[in-house]
Amino acid sequence: MKEAVNSKTIWNAPKWNLIKLKINLSASNLFVYVAGMIVLFIVACALFPQWIAPYSPTYMHTEFILSPPSTLHLLGTDYFGRDVLSLVVYGSRDSLIIGVVSVLIGGGIGGGLGALAGYVGGVVDMIFMRFTDILMTIPGILLALAIAAALGPSLMNVVLAVAVSSIPGYTRVMRGQMMSIKKRQFVAASRSIGTPNWRILIWHILPNSWSPLLVMATIGLGTSILVGSGLSFLGLGVIKEIPDWGALLAQGRGYLTTGWWISTFPGLAITLFVLSVNIIGDKLRDMYDPKTK
Amino acid sequence: MKKWPTWTKTLTVATAFLLLLAGCSNGASTSNSEDTSGKAGTKESTGGELTYALATSPDTLDPHRSGLAVSVRAFRTIFDSLVVQKADNTIQPWLATEWTVSEDGKSYTFKLREDVTFHDGTPFNAEAVKYNYDRIIDPETKAANALALIRPYKSSEVIDEYTIKINLETPSAAFLSNLSQALLGIVSPTAAKKDGDQFGKHPVGTGPYKFVSWIENADIQVEKNNDYKWAPSIVENDGAPYLDKITFKIIPEEATRIGSVQSGQVLAVETVPPQNIVSLKDDPKTQLLQVNTLGLPYTLFFNQRNKPWNDVNVRKAVQLAIDVDSIVKTLYMGTYERAWSPLSPGMLGYDESLENSVKPDLDKANKLLDELGYEKGSDGIREKDGKKLTLNYVDGSPNREKRNDIAVIIQQQLKEIGIAVDINITKDTATVIYQNADYDLYGNSQVNSDPNSLRAIYHTEDPEATMKMLGGGSDPELDKFLEQGTIEHDPAKREEIYKKVQQIIIEKAVIIPIYVFPYTVAASKKVNGITFDSLGYPLFNDVRIGQ
Repeated sequence: MKEAVNSKTIWNAPKWNLIKLKINLSASNLFVYVAGMIVLFIVACALFPQWIAPYSPTYMHTEFILSPPSTLHLLGTDYFGRDVLSLVVYGSRDSLIIGVVSVLIGGGIGGGLGALAGYVGGVVDMIFMRFTDILMTIPGILLALAIAAALGPSLMNVVLAVAVSSIPGYTRVMRGQMMSIKKRQFVAASRSIGTPNWRILIWHILPNSWSPLLVMATIGLGTSILVGSGLSFLGLGVIKEIPDWGALLAQGRGYLTTGWWISTFPGLAITLFVLSVNIIGDKLRDMYDPKTK
Repeated sequence: MKKWPTWTKTLTVATAFLLLLAGCSNGASTSNSEDTSGKAGTKESTGGELTYALATSPDTLDPHRSGLAVSVRAFRTIFDSLVVQKADNTIQPWLATEWTVSEDGKSYTFKLREDVTFHDGTPFNAEAVKYNYDRIIDPETKAANALALIRPYKSSEVIDEYTIKINLETPSAAFLSNLSQALLGIVSPTAAKKDGDQFGKHPVGTGPYKFVSWIENADIQVEKNNDYKWAPSIVENDGAPYLDKITFKIIPEEATRIGSVQSGQVLAVETVPPQNIVSLKDDPKTQLLQVNTLGLPYTLFFNQRNKPWNDVNVRKAVQLAIDVDSIVKTLYMGTYERAWSPLSPGMLGYDESLENSVKPDLDKANKLLDELGYEKGSDGIREKDGKKLTLNYVDGSPNREKRNDIAVIIQQQLKEIGIAVDINITKDTATVIYQNADYDLYGNSQVNSDPNSLRAIYHTEDPEATMKMLGGGSDPELDKFLEQGTIEHDPAKREEIYKKVQQIIIEKAVIIPIYVFPYTVAASKKVNGITFDSLGYPLFNDVRIGQ
């Protein structure tokens, strides 16, 4: 990041450098468009699976058990005889719910705590930050595992588990933002004319500090889906009529030697979605990072 | 403050995770050393070491305290029983040479072998047998399944050094058969007294193999008992086993377990999943051994404590809607047999006439529910008095023998007749099922030797029982037959009684039998002579490692 700042401050940058920058930009833009289309498509799958999936995800084609990918079943069938493509399409809904809702909860709570800690400072800051320090010492997946194990398997508990394990990250980023912005001159100016604290916080500081959180949340979306899939894979999810991607992966695990397609395609779906979201997140960071502006 | 419970749980899980990792690394390091010793043994037909992978870890190696079939597979090598049951359900001598039963059927007098010693040098005699059976009924022992098997045992009298008289509270036709089970195996009194509740960590018996070591979650080792010359008639080799050593390795992950036998890291593995049975059949280096286990097949029990499952017609509708054939064919790919009765084939009194007696019939099932006033709602789910017809299907975790997948199929099948199925997977079946009876449908199976084991499940519940019975129904007719079956000594009459019992259970749709569990072993073709006892437990007396 610092290098970027430096190259901008150098007045007489050589011309070839600029050209390269342009090419890079367009190449990365292409990636962003593709990524955006993939995300849109997966969101469409989650919203209108019945328009996209060729079969009902729960229908068991008993005469086609474990059949490899063919024109009839594009991604093959699993050991129940269910169509893998339809399962992946329908499974996107719960996977996205885990991702989006846990980011909203984690980002909301983490951002809120961080904002408060950063703005109020003092004892509040110390208590909140020690709390997040403790949370941070535990590996995220382990924390999520513990929560899922303690509360029992259900979609909401998986969401909660993923959300809680993502809180410390948001808290730290938000607190840092707060601390730097509250010392800016425009805040001091506003305070000098007697604006109340809550008004300064909401009108001046928050709008200037949310962009890193947005970037983090976008990338966090991918991470959450990964952690959620991990939990489902480890069997701490729920057995639902329509399994999410992680559960699909887990179900196919015993069949890797006899039916590779059962786990491979849900796995690819996770990879594609997380990769796309990360590319978009990267782009957002480039756009919002004040240092690159 | 609120955080504390989460923390303690987090810590527990964290510790468990670390232990798991530690266990994994242990397993990896021992497997290397075994490769070399395994090769040494391949040169001659006697000696050598058999590595045998188990699917789960035994709970204890104390036969009187264990409740798991996997433990029996390991400790059957260490312990012998008084008698042995053959495949035709007749009882043959083992540590007892002959026996007589009193007129009233309440006392058994056994003559014991005089040449038997325990691995620790303790002589085997009537005192030792008395100690063993008294130990099982002693509440301090906290015996598990063994206690259910030895009932109605009252006391033992030592007549002379090698004669013992066993008194029962009531006559029991199942007694001898139960004595043949490894769970009532004879332990060394010296060692059991010395180690107390730690005996399961250092088991001492009279069996063909002596216990060497047990590394938790990694392996259990036993070595040849050179003095052994009292093998039961169900094995060929009546002397000491040919193998020097057996190492039972614990490999829970299916794919890893099968991979280890294919790559030659272990010589035999148990519990081969159906999809691998199909693919291993063509493997030139591996042989598949398969034996149906005896006892109660995997069966789904309705909880008759809950409405509407106490109504025979609702249960019948479910029975007619579930296509068991399709479940068994789909999930087990023709490797498991479908069960038809509460007893598995081969048990005394198994009723063959029940086979093909139940056929799926959706029209009839729908009609039954219509007549009872269950109307289909807009979502296709039936309702009565504003309550949806939902079935709470509870199953355990991990997904043993694809039992969770059975639930997934039944969910779809019952949707057809308008019953919504909620599948709840729990690790804690002890609480959910046996303490709170919080289920509508739950499946279980049991390895057992005598049809009297039905009584513990289908007889009306003892009001003082601490553990809730599966099903929880009450049927005076069934009770009467089950009581008769316990005391009837004439095998032909017993068969008739148990046929009646099976017919009533199926006719009233008390249960839905699903599959007969075959115990499967995949072994390298170098391994010869793995045999099975009547219950389907492996025996290693005749095993040789060839080439």
